[in-house]
Amino acid sequence: MLQKPVRRIRWVMAVSVFVLGAAAATAVAQSKPDLGGVWEVTMGVRTRPGPGAPEMPALTPEYAQKLADFKAAQAKGEDEESPQANCVPPGMPGIMNQPYPMELLFTPGKVTIVIEAYSQTRRIFLDGRKHPDDPDLTYNGHSIGHWEGDTLVVDSVGFTPDTALGPSQGYRHSDKMHIVERFRLTDPDTLEVVTTVDDPKALTKALSGTKVLKRHRDWDIAEYICEQNNRNLATDKGKAGILLNH
Amino acid sequence: MKPFVIRVGSRALWLTLAALPAAAVAHHSYAMFDLSRTVTLQGTIKDFQWTNPHSWIWIDVTAADGKPEQWGIEGMSPNYLARRGWSKHTLNPGDKVSVVIHPLKGADHGGSFLSVTLADGTVMRQSGGPPPASGPTPNP
Repeated sequence: MLQKPVRRIRWVMAVSVFVLGAAAATAVAQSKPDLGGVWEVTMGVRTRPGPGAPEMPALTPEYAQKLADFKAAQAKGEDEESPQANCVPPGMPGIMNQPYPMELLFTPGKVTIVIEAYSQTRRIFLDGRKHPDDPDLTYNGHSIGHWEGDTLVVDSVGFTPDTALGPSQGYRHSDKMHIVERFRLTDPDTLEVVTTVDDPKALTKALSGTKVLKRHRDWDIAEYICEQNNRNLATDKGKAGILLNH
Repeated sequence: MKPFVIRVGSRALWLTLAALPAAAVAHHSYAMFDLSRTVTLQGTIKDFQWTNPHSWIWIDVTAADGKPEQWGIEGMSPNYLARRGWSKHTLNPGDKVSVVIHPLKGADHGGSFLSVTLADGTVMRQSGGPPPASGPTPNP
């Protein structure tokens, strides 16, 4: 039989190991990187067609025809303008590429992205739920997420085909568009987002791209009411116009 | 090892330059502006609208034939400008300024903002005060 002081030491050690283990487990659970705060996409990344242009969507014949029809209309002076001129938000994926910041808010089971441009909100559920079997089709889709190590992986479906895939209005997507975004810190205030878009109806291969966002710890999201003083307009033919009454 | 290092660098460059699934989408097209022409307007600020989705500078100028003209100049939103050194007080009614723009293609008196020189000589661009930022000014 062990002497009393030795038993006490063993008991203290056992409790200590348990407490430390629990603390370590908690630390692991809470050790996800801090992606919260206000972020802005770094511009200066070349995003338009031309030398050094981004990868262009590889379209199926049906969607290549839509693009050809769009270009033919533009050649006639139609379809110059996008619905955004009338303050209609672009939807995904374009809403994540705006020249205004977004705020990532982490609450239990959910990430909320407050996007300044067009006052948009995305809700990404991290509570283990699945996508609906038959989601309503929306501009920003239905998003679920999970962590893979230090990377937040967001999977989105349920997009209305009313919005464009980009880079112009001529590039369309279907209601089967599926987007995966991988959010990862590359340094304390730099967020890399690798976005992959697939669409069995519109694309012959997945379209992938990387953008870089910078955290602005002293910024707040501001109000953006597009209808306040919007002097741009798109006619029903998509012709660009501007209002100069004042 | 060297080719491997180069390949990694190329890949990083490619990832940086390439393949955003959608462009940084503009609020509207620039089809109505003549981006090949730059015009300088000298005049007096009538109004500075600090509003979304664009700020608007309204300026009274005297045309070459001596007639008064009012021009409307579209700029970035207050959200963008306020983070780059501007405020609603940067331009005030009565200020004598010169504004550099891309004019509308037609005969209407409007344009897209490039820079303004204030009465005290300060030059303001959408990216902030002097000197000009390298590369094109974001113009969504």
